[in-house]
Amino acid sequence: MTERIERELWLPATRDAVWDAVTSDGWLAEYVRIDLRPGGDAHFDSGGSVRSGWVEDVSVPERLIFWWAVDEEPASRVELKIEERGDGTRLRIVETRPLEVLDLVGVPLPGAGGSTYGPALVAA
Amino acid sequence: MTVPEPSDRGALSASGADERAGAVFGALSDPTRRALLAAIAEHPEATATELASGLPISRQAVLKHLNALTDAGLLDRTRAGREVRYQFTPAPLSDAVGWMAEVGAEWDDRLAVLRRQLGATSAAGRGAPE
Repeated sequence: MTERIERELWLPATRDAVWDAVTSDGWLAEYVRIDLRPGGDAHFDSGGSVRSGWVEDVSVPERLIFWWAVDEEPASRVELKIEERGDGTRLRIVETRPLEVLDLVGVPLPGAGGSTYGPALVAA
Repeated sequence: MTVPEPSDRGALSASGADERAGAVFGALSDPTRRALLAAIAEHPEATATELASGLPISRQAVLKHLNALTDAGLLDRTRAGREVRYQFTPAPLSDAVGWMAEVGAEWDDRLAVLRRQLGATSAAGRGAPE
């Protein structure tokens, strides 16, 4: 079973403004560092809670897919989609935590080799 | 996709855990109870009266739902004077439900931030399509 969270929000703002907001410090975490390319490293620091991960796919300013995990916890996959809708922008979020078999491999992803093994896992 | 052999993971044997998960899913099967749980997660220490004010049902009906959620171990009750205050307790949830509740609440918080940041301009009344 894949656990899945979905959220959607319409905002009276441009796609670029939404992209900037969701990738800036203070939204995904207090301190956000994402190497915006497939396989790039991602680091999310909110003081007490630190997550690390990597980028699966990115297309500025409309799509960002990344994986993140806290320490030994199973990694989860976050998909942010930003689309023009009416005179504003719709942000769609899907976070999924995949099958255990993927979790087992997913745990070391944030560390060395994560960038290499990550995308292959998603295709499996 | 192939499903992993559960034997390797070993920890899923206790039927007590199954029963508890059943109670939790039962409690969560009702949309009003889910709305209540979300409201309490967002406003800890809420009272039945406060919760009823945000829903189109009576305080009495809210109390019934709160009892069901408390029985499932999803809520903690503390008495403060004449009022009982409710607190969300994700601890007894199965791992899956706990993850859904926790991560869902995190995204709700983030969306609230975004709405304040980008949504509070001209378009009054045009919220998210829920």
